[in-house]
Amino acid sequence: MGEVWREAISESFNRFLGKVITFLPNLLAMITIFVVGFFFAWVVKMLLLRFLRAIQFDKAGERWGLTLILSKGGVAYSPANLLSRFFYWLIVLITLILGINALEVAATKNLTAQFFNYLPHLFAAVIILVIGYLIAIFLGQATLIAAVNAQMESAKLLSRSVRWFIIILSLTMALYHLGIAEKVIIAAFTIIFGGIVLALAIAFGWGGRELAKDLLDRLYKKKEKGEGPDHLSHI
Amino acid sequence: MEKSFQIQLEEIKETDILIGIPSYNNVRTIGHVVRAVMAGIAKYFPKARAVLVNSDGGSTDGTQEEVKKVGIEDFKMILTSYPLRAIQKIVTPYHGVPGKGSAFRTIFEAAASLKAKACAVVDSDLRSITPEWMELLLRPIYEEGFDYAAPLYARHKFDGTITNSIVYPLTRALYGKRVRQPIGGDFGFSGKLAEFYLTQEVWETDVARFGIDIWMTTLAIAEGYKMCQCYLGAKIHDIKDPGTDLGPMFTQVVSSVYRLMGNYQNLWKEVKESQPVPTFGFHYEVGVEPISVNVERMIGNFRLGVKDLMEIWKKVLLPETAHWLESIGRLPNEAFSFPQGLWIRIIYDFAVAYHKGSVHREHLLKSMIPLYLGRVTSFIKENQESSAKEVEEKIESLCTMFEEMKPYLIERWE
Repeated sequence: MGEVWREAISESFNRFLGKVITFLPNLLAMITIFVVGFFFAWVVKMLLLRFLRAIQFDKAGERWGLTLILSKGGVAYSPANLLSRFFYWLIVLITLILGINALEVAATKNLTAQFFNYLPHLFAAVIILVIGYLIAIFLGQATLIAAVNAQMESAKLLSRSVRWFIIILSLTMALYHLGIAEKVIIAAFTIIFGGIVLALAIAFGWGGRELAKDLLDRLYKKKEKGEGPDHLSHI
Repeated sequence: MEKSFQIQLEEIKETDILIGIPSYNNVRTIGHVVRAVMAGIAKYFPKARAVLVNSDGGSTDGTQEEVKKVGIEDFKMILTSYPLRAIQKIVTPYHGVPGKGSAFRTIFEAAASLKAKACAVVDSDLRSITPEWMELLLRPIYEEGFDYAAPLYARHKFDGTITNSIVYPLTRALYGKRVRQPIGGDFGFSGKLAEFYLTQEVWETDVARFGIDIWMTTLAIAEGYKMCQCYLGAKIHDIKDPGTDLGPMFTQVVSSVYRLMGNYQNLWKEVKESQPVPTFGFHYEVGVEPISVNVERMIGNFRLGVKDLMEIWKKVLLPETAHWLESIGRLPNEAFSFPQGLWIRIIYDFAVAYHKGSVHREHLLKSMIPLYLGRVTSFIKENQESSAKEVEEKIESLCTMFEEMKPYLIERWE
């Protein structure tokens, strides 16, 4: 009985040891890939940054309007810095995929192939998000200025609404492109958007009908009388 | 260039004098303007070959027909003798970006094609133009060897607020020439200068719109053309609603000024002080029409700007300037005041931001409108009881301050 017990334990231990011995090189390979990959990413980032600074990439970016787009989008990095960071994170991402794949665990075996198949969708989604964000910032600002110049008290609210609408729209488009819960996303967007329009229509037509009447009344009467804001000739 | 226009120019071949009138739906006033122009040419340049070009933006109210209708017999009563030559008239639509500048481009093309010696342009909505304007704008060019004649007017003390608060003081401080009405709209210029204007690639920019006047004046100064100014008397326009035009008018004029600052930065950085330019014409006092101004609304617009646009302004202004604006925004209407030192800082800071492109340029200029209205309001409040002469002295002091603060601009520009 004692022999059987000893054998069972020893076999179990040997099996575990065998697995550890098989897994250990993979683990070491992963750690090595991580260390080398991260170091390589850092070196590429530094070299690229120096190179871009040497060729005065930031000044060229200013001329091309790149700096302007970034500053309008609230990005604090210079174009050179941003590009070098992009390559750093790209190498880091590839390193992580390669490292995890090196483990040769069943769950991660096809990770590389899947990752590279999915990459174009991911890129497209990121581009949609970035462009959507920049458009949202731009149109939000344009709305704010136009509303202030039209003397609308709720200029900021209007501007924020425009900005968030475009951000949500681009987020919906990005998620749709990634294939994440497509139907749910579209349904949710349609319901929210339709709901907002309906709410506004009810609010304006029912709750604020007196205000609307007054507004249109004043506007019409003003035009009828031909009253200008003032008679100042600016030029 | 329109085919029929080209044929007409080829038929005329050459001219001594060319007068351009840009128009768009000005049937109420253009007849008077054409009559004044034709009478002026017949009276003061009877021996010269003259062509009148009406460059129209596609009027639908009969403006073009009105121009064609006006003839020599309409004004024979005011002439002591008949002119030796008939004045040729061309009515043509212009092409390109809709705007005053595109209309002027067609006039420059006609001037270059006809090898005109002296040219003049006048607005088509003028109610106060007289035949004497032709002599005043053309004689310095035709006989005295000047290349550019800017107008001088008697205006209401609160009229021409973009000119008085931005364009005149800034142009004077930058380029060192005291041209009092750099965007007056009525100018005389030589055929040589018209040809030079045509060589510039600006016809897709704001110069093709309201930016044309300051562009013409600045180029004439910066390129070293011989210039003068002529006193024309009162300037009275057709009644319209100026409030509706403020946005595009303001942004197009100011963007042209700022763009030119970038083009001529090496020139204006070296200019230390301003000089007067030769002035012609007999100065006399005229009664100008009273104007009504809604000061409360303009203060309201400024306050709204302080509340909502400060985020954008802070990207342009120094922190202490932004703080100063915030404190002004809290003042009650009765105590509202927008000091000229602050205003000059703002004009210079926005010029730097436009140059560096730190904020989208159209947004930058549009966001400036509440600040402009704030300054105009303050100016009107300060000068409610002042005479026209006293107001002119205030503008002079603003100009001096613009010149004194120029080192601040140069420092921030670098």
